[in-house]
Parts: sequence; structure tokens; C-alpha cells
Amino acid sequence: MGTENPESPGCYTEHGVSGYGVAAKLSAKEPMTEAFVKEMAEEMMLNIAGKCMDAGARCIGHVKSHVETRAGTIKADTIGVAHGAYSKGNLTRPVKDLHMAVNSIVQGIVEETVKAATLEGMHEVAHGYGLSVVKEKEHAYFDAFDFMASKEAYQKELEAQFDEAGKPDLNEEA
Amino acid sequence: MKITQIAGFLGCGKTTLMLELSRALAGNGKRKVAMVVNEIGEIPVDGKVAQGSGMQVMDIGGGCICCEVAATFAKTIYRLYKDFDPDHVLVEPTGVAVPHQVKLAARMGGRDAKIGLGPAIVLFDATRPAELLDMEMLGRLVTTQLKDADIIAISKVDAVKETEVADSSRRVRDYNAKAEIFNLSSFSGLGVDQLVDRILGWKE
Repeated sequence: MGTENPESPGCYTEHGVSGYGVAAKLSAKEPMTEAFVKEMAEEMMLNIAGKCMDAGARCIGHVKSHVETRAGTIKADTIGVAHGAYSKGNLTRPVKDLHMAVNSIVQGIVEETVKAATLEGMHEVAHGYGLSVVKEKEHAYFDAFDFMASKEAYQKELEAQFDEAGKPDLNEEA
Repeated sequence: MKITQIAGFLGCGKTTLMLELSRALAGNGKRKVAMVVNEIGEIPVDGKVAQGSGMQVMDIGGGCICCEVAATFAKTIYRLYKDFDPDHVLVEPTGVAVPHQVKLAARMGGRDAKIGLGPAIVLFDATRPAELLDMEMLGRLVTTQLKDADIIAISKVDAVKETEVADSSRRVRDYNAKAEIFNLSSFSGLGVDQLVDRILGWKE
């Protein structure tokens, strides 16, 4: 895949819409239950949305996330603080590690501002829930076309993707 | 191979509807259904969600299929036709795409494939009509999407009062006098069967 016309901005830029995506691996010292992960993810979505609005956004298109773990997946999203956040999915058992993709699409602020709000919002809530952001990568693809991969193969791909990113792109925390 | 797009602004429930429509259209194996999901946020969250449906899913990132990556979209359509030959392809453009441009891009893919276009279904979020229509820049985009619609689905009707649903219907009608307007609730399933009937019976 690729952008055929990288010099030309997308149609959405005419409407003041900016987006930012980041993938991260989060780890906890103690196993996290499904309820814990959902609560954390919902709070993260609202925190990011709130930071975007505080930075001057006029409308939240969406802030959405996909959480992949060895025990199942969770999806959480919001279309604005006033609308609340929602999550669905399930985990078959508590987990210590999770991979999370976050997309923020917002109207009224530039991409750099969306990026700052997204990263600050993610780190703030993760730390508040006692999670470490072990690795993170911008614009990472969680999977490229291979939607039929086994769960084990998929996890390996996720890990490999972070490894391939190289040390300069990784933001490792204790 | 009939290509139907599920358009509408971000957060209006497109992915949820896509998943429901794909299951309903497949009709317990009677028809082959594929999905094309496009996201501008670079990380294909929606594609991952769609993965759970067990359907053939193609995820296009890196830009918008109505402009930046229109050629990639056209190639994807051809690849689906050649490799999978589905009866129906459901396309979820980004929430900021313009439906008539998506149709043009799909037709590019149809130069080498036998395709027909289904309706452009545009969702309108009943929980935030003022947010969507009353802001200058955003309003222009949303009204363009509504004007391009063959069918308008007022989404999330279970989350608002009946009077608010009626208000949304009245407001979108101002922008499109011809489109059929449905009420839609992915929570209760309201409207899904009607949309399936329209897709199946749609003639260009």
C-alpha cells in the first residue's frame, strides 16, 4: 500500500481534519482483568478527547482503540467527552501485557497538536493505572492484510514489528 | 460483484453496520461477501474489528480512498474480483470521504472487472446533528456526504428521543430530496433488513 499522490493533501485537510495513530505495548506488574482493561481504555479515550478539545479542537471525529492481548481483544472509543466512552470485547483471563492501537481523528487542530494530545493522554492514563508504556511506534500497522493469521502468529508479528522499528523509534520506560 | 459503500462522518457507526450487513448479506453462505475498510489514522483499528467476522477483509491505509489512494482502492477491487470473486463488496470509506468520489474510484477498478455499483448508504449520527451540521468547515463536508447519498440512515436512534430522530430526518432531507431515509439502530437491529433488501434489489 502507499499514497499515490503524496504531494497532494487528502480531501479531509480541506475540512480541517487531522489524524494521528500510534501503537504501543503496555505492561503491568499484576495481571489485569477485563473490567480493568475496559475502564482504563475508556478513560484513555476520554482523556485524549478532552486534551484535544482543550487544545482548540472543534469536534472529535473519533478517538478509538483496539487492544490485543493473548486472552482476547477489547475495543474502546469515544466521539467526544460529552458523549461518553464505550468498550466491548472480552478477555478469557487476566493479562500482564497488551498491545494497543490508538487512532485520533479530530477537526480544528493540526496534526502535531493531535499527536501531542494522543501521546500525553495515553501516557497519563497508563501511568495512572500503574501500566508502563514499554514500547510505542507511530503509524505502525497492526497487521498487513493477513487477517487469517493464528493468534500465536499474530502476536509474533506484533512483537516483530516493534523490534523492526529499531531502537531510535522506541520509547522504553522502566 | 456489487460494490456498496457505507459512508458517513467519523463515529457514526459505519463499522458496526458493515459487520451486521455483511452477515445478513451472506445469508448463511448463500452469497460471498467481502469488505474493504479504509482508515486515515494509519493504524487499521476497524480492520481488526472486522477480522473477527470471518469475512474476507481488505484494509487500505495511508490515505483516503476517494483521493489520495484511489488507485490502490481500484487495484484492491480488481484483486478481490480476481482472487475471491464475491457477490457483494461492502466498502467503508473514511469518515471524511466524499461518496461520489468513492464511486468514481470504484469504477476505475471496474475497468478490468465485472462490477455493479450498489447504493451509497450515508449514515447520519442522531446523537450529534448540531455538531455535524452547524459548524462551517465540518458542515460543508457532512452536507456533501448527505447530498451524495442514495440512502440516508439515521443512526443510533435508540440513543435519542423520537423527536430528536424526527429532527435529524427533517434536517438531512433539506440536503437531499431524493434519498430514502431509514432509521437505524445497530443495538436493536432496526433498519438492517431494509438496507439488505435495498442492496439486493439495487439497480444502477
